[in-house]
Amino acid sequence: MKIIVFIDQIVSTQVKLQGVDFFDPSKVDDVDLVINPTSKNAIEGALKLKNTFDAEKEEEEEGAKVTAVCVRGLKPIKALREAIAMGCTDAIEIADDTLYTEDPLLLAKIYVGALEKIGDFDLVFLSAEEQSSSSYAVGAMLAEKLGLPSVLYAEEIENIDGGFRVGHVLEGGRKIVEVPQKALISTSDSQYFTPRYTSMKGILNAKRAVIPTWTATDLGLSANVVGKEAASLQQVSLTNIVIEKESYIITEGEPEEMVDNLLSKLKEDEVKLGA
Amino acid sequence: MKILVFGQIRDNAIEENVLGILNKLSEVFADSEISLALLANQINNDWVEELGKHGAKKVYTVEASELENYLSYPYVKSMLEIIEKTEPSLVLAAGTVFGEDLIPRLAVHHGISCAQRIVDISLDIDNILFHTPVRDDQAMRVTKLVGAIKFATTRTGAFFINENPSGKSPEVEKVEVTFEAEDMLVKHIEIKKAERTVNLKDAKLIVAGGRGVGGKDNFQILKDLATLLNGEIGATRACTDLHWIEETYEIGQTGQSVSPDIYIAAGISGAPQHLSGVKAKTLISINKDEGAPIFNYSDYGIVGDLHEILPILKKKLE
Ligand SMILES: Cc1cc2nc3c(=O)[nH]c(=O)nc-3n(C[C@H](O)[C@H](O)[C@H](O)COP(=O)(O)OP(=O)(O)OC[C@H]3O[C@@H](n4cnc5c(N)ncnc54)[C@H](O)[C@@H]3O)c2cc1C
Repeated sequence: MKIIVFIDQIVSTQVKLQGVDFFDPSKVDDVDLVINPTSKNAIEGALKLKNTFDAEKEEEEEGAKVTAVCVRGLKPIKALREAIAMGCTDAIEIADDTLYTEDPLLLAKIYVGALEKIGDFDLVFLSAEEQSSSSYAVGAMLAEKLGLPSVLYAEEIENIDGGFRVGHVLEGGRKIVEVPQKALISTSDSQYFTPRYTSMKGILNAKRAVIPTWTATDLGLSANVVGKEAASLQQVSLTNIVIEKESYIITEGEPEEMVDNLLSKLKEDEVKLGA
Repeated sequence: MKILVFGQIRDNAIEENVLGILNKLSEVFADSEISLALLANQINNDWVEELGKHGAKKVYTVEASELENYLSYPYVKSMLEIIEKTEPSLVLAAGTVFGEDLIPRLAVHHGISCAQRIVDISLDIDNILFHTPVRDDQAMRVTKLVGAIKFATTRTGAFFINENPSGKSPEVEKVEVTFEAEDMLVKHIEIKKAERTVNLKDAKLIVAGGRGVGGKDNFQILKDLATLLNGEIGATRACTDLHWIEETYEIGQTGQSVSPDIYIAAGISGAPQHLSGVKAKTLISINKDEGAPIFNYSDYGIVGDLHEILPILKKKLE
């Protein structure tokens, strides 16, 4: 079994970069580049299936492989080493200045290119990311381009004969569907996908791992197909949202002082708690 | 200009967000011709009338047993047929789980990208501009789409519904679509509906907990505080998924929509899917992470451990 998981690297939300500055790479430190937390959910989904498969396989059969692929991020290699440290078998970096990933359709094309070069695979995992403009659409676009049965926003996965039974997020509850074994699954951050920590063995593997870098040319893609000039979703402007209302956030003090501070401020502003 | 909207059905009625879109469209594109696509096992005439009232001039219907439940392939196929018939310049769907599945796929078939989770739409000289908040709503990204036909989803809860709609009965056109076995590769098994036993719509005060609450028993302090303040409790999907609290208390895009005077958010990060269901006059949050997005939306906040803060707060209020 061969599972491909597409991950992203983002600027940690711990970093206090406000609004527009967040999107300026020159303002970002390398140490603040992390695997997108939702990508970790996707990695976890892939690793869980690998674990189940490996536990049930015949002795002479090869274990399941999970390949992490990262296109988006300032230093994808860093994210990929961490993915291996979590338990992925290997990784591929796709890096090329001509690639434009803020358009989900172009990102989907890059992913298709990567999958074609990889060749054989059974399952594709990915997740959605809040910060980019590609996020929500890319899973559905990729599935449609590949003609793969898919489930978006999965919350739980159960192995069944010849495929998977998957529960996914739905307004007003949860929907259960069945997909064949060759499928695409996008993950949510449900309990089921709580990411595991890196392991000692994984960290060693990550150190030793040779991670190939593929360029657009390696994928047979040119700038007029996946470059900014090819984008049909174009940014017109990016501006800070000015919030009129002032917020009163208490960051310092002993817990009791903070509560007193809050209550007296509420009183001053004539905000009543309760009846 | 011709606009086509996906008329999503939910719980045997038109999804509310679809009505919101119609209201918005009538404001921005006064002279446009708005059509709706209704796909179902059996079309209910009430849906058609409702859509007409809210401004639909024409409703295209596809009736088939394959459309009883949303599944990508049969829905994409049906929508593509309708698009071919109507040749719209713009195709919109509410950014529900299904809408977000459908729109990108339709866009792929037309070789174009799509705009997502828009909260506003406007007209430039000859462009339609799509407004999407990014970076925890701290920045607004405005985009345009290059192509003869444009696709977008809207953020749920972004648009108001016209309370006094006065549109007329729309024209109805039936569209025939045939389905093959390969359209049904993904099998619908069931929808596990969350039981809604407590209605939070009218609650004046809500004490809501998130994953930071840390466990089922820890919800007690939130309940005590809510009782003390004559309010209700609420939770994020993370908590209902973990079974820390009954599903009925889930608030947000996939849970209940609330509009209390006061919303106390404890251990909640502030995901857009959660906050799209919260319209509070005053938002007070407690979170140990100063960088948590929830603080961007809060009127008041304490950066601290809720396990310490909430008991003190309760004691002081008693
Ligand atoms: C299509 C879709 C629809 C969705 N619909 C909804 C919806 O309707 N409603 C909903 O809620 N979610 C919904 N979600 C899930 C949503 O995206 C988030 O995953 C969820 O809201 C996160 O919940 P949370 O804030 O409780 O958890 P987290 O994001 O994990 O945040 C926990 C927070 O608690 C803080 N914390 C931890 N410990 C403490 C402590 N001791 N004291 C104080 N603070 C602490 C942390 O700093 C963190 O900020 C949906 C997701 C999808 C994909």
